[in-house]
Amino acid sequence: MPKIVIDPITRIEGHLRIEAQVEGGKVTDAWSSGTMWRGIEIIVKNRDPREVWAFLSRI
Amino acid sequence: MHEDGIVKALSQRGVSRRDFLKFCTAMAATLALPSTFVPKIAEALEKKMKPAVIWLELSDCAGDTESMLRATKPTIADIVLDVISLEYHETIMAASGKAAEKSKNDVVKNLRGKYIAIVEGAIPMKDGGIYCTISGHSALDIAREVCGNAMATLAVGSCAAWGGIASADPNPTGCVGVKEAVPGATVVNLPGCPVNVENITATIVHFLTFGSLPALDARLRPLFGYGKRIHDNCERRMHFDAGQFVRKWGDEGARLGWCLYEMGCKGPEAYYNCPTIRWNAGTSWPVQAGHPCFACAADNNWDVMGPIYSRLPNVPGAGYQVKADQIGLGIAAVTGAGVAAHAIIRGIKGSKENSGKPGPEEERRKQDAKDRD
Repeated sequence: MPKIVIDPITRIEGHLRIEAQVEGGKVTDAWSSGTMWRGIEIIVKNRDPREVWAFLSRI
Repeated sequence: MHEDGIVKALSQRGVSRRDFLKFCTAMAATLALPSTFVPKIAEALEKKMKPAVIWLELSDCAGDTESMLRATKPTIADIVLDVISLEYHETIMAASGKAAEKSKNDVVKNLRGKYIAIVEGAIPMKDGGIYCTISGHSALDIAREVCGNAMATLAVGSCAAWGGIASADPNPTGCVGVKEAVPGATVVNLPGCPVNVENITATIVHFLTFGSLPALDARLRPLFGYGKRIHDNCERRMHFDAGQFVRKWGDEGARLGWCLYEMGCKGPEAYYNCPTIRWNAGTSWPVQAGHPCFACAADNNWDVMGPIYSRLPNVPGAGYQVKADQIGLGIAAVTGAGVAAHAIIRGIKGSKENSGKPGPEEERRKQDAKDRD
């Protein structure tokens, strides 16, 4: 039951990890994980709505 | 890849000698060097080998990568293939997973102390560094390994320099900049949101030409890029001095390109070479496009520079602060009397300078003039 792990997935923006369970040459299960979190949604709480674009354009 | 000389590689890609010298001239200008240094830069680049570079993306948005991909002088293809030897960059490299990690680890192992690390993004320290992992390693461990063994580390963008947007209040993941996370590393900070790619290239060219990093300020920023205030190089500065302000979006002042100070411009507290090198192939920059500067290159600008659209308090030198309130308004109302009003303002300023002690603004200007000499 080999498990394939590809981390990092390149040529994308952001950090992604893919894991795949292989049985008999077929993928039987797979998981994807974003491996970075900064909490921009927490950072913009209670800020002036007029400037939130500047934060969210940097996600 | 890094065995080829830069010029040889450039000529193989059809870059003419004339284009190469133009690039050297542009780099001399960015570095604030006189044109007599152009042959020295050209000579150095002709002789030097391309440095191997590892570009790390940590708690980032890839905005600095986007900025780099839009390089025009030289193009990104020229930079990646010719000026440097980019051995690892997640967003643009072909390899994935283990093969990608191998490229990075090989450079760290085989070129210890000889490669340049470029870091984009902050380093989350909270909860054991779980908020950014690559290939099962935390950003902190990766930075320690890669930056700790590099000849020099360029912390590009405000996140890598000081934590940036990821460290804005309440800093949910405990983000810090590279120097704070890896104090032993040799770090050059190139803050900005994003960094301007010309500052990255100029720093590397300086290193190749002189064998040393450019002169840095106390916060490890190169003086060539961060030694001047936006306000002092701003093309709208005369409107600030004359008391001509945009007071409402879409008003007459906005249409005429007047000063954005009243709309929240942080130019008087911002240090960056935006007004001189500009963006998008040198076509424009935020203030030219009609938006106030929000001091993106300042440490924690998101919290300490206040709301983007709120005016900085008490910036000295504004036209109306030299008792020119009425005159400033007069200029706004009576166009055509500009020359006379200008003379009056000059008169008021002159008498102020003669009668009292110089204000902080004048002192700062004098200091700047001294620094230039």
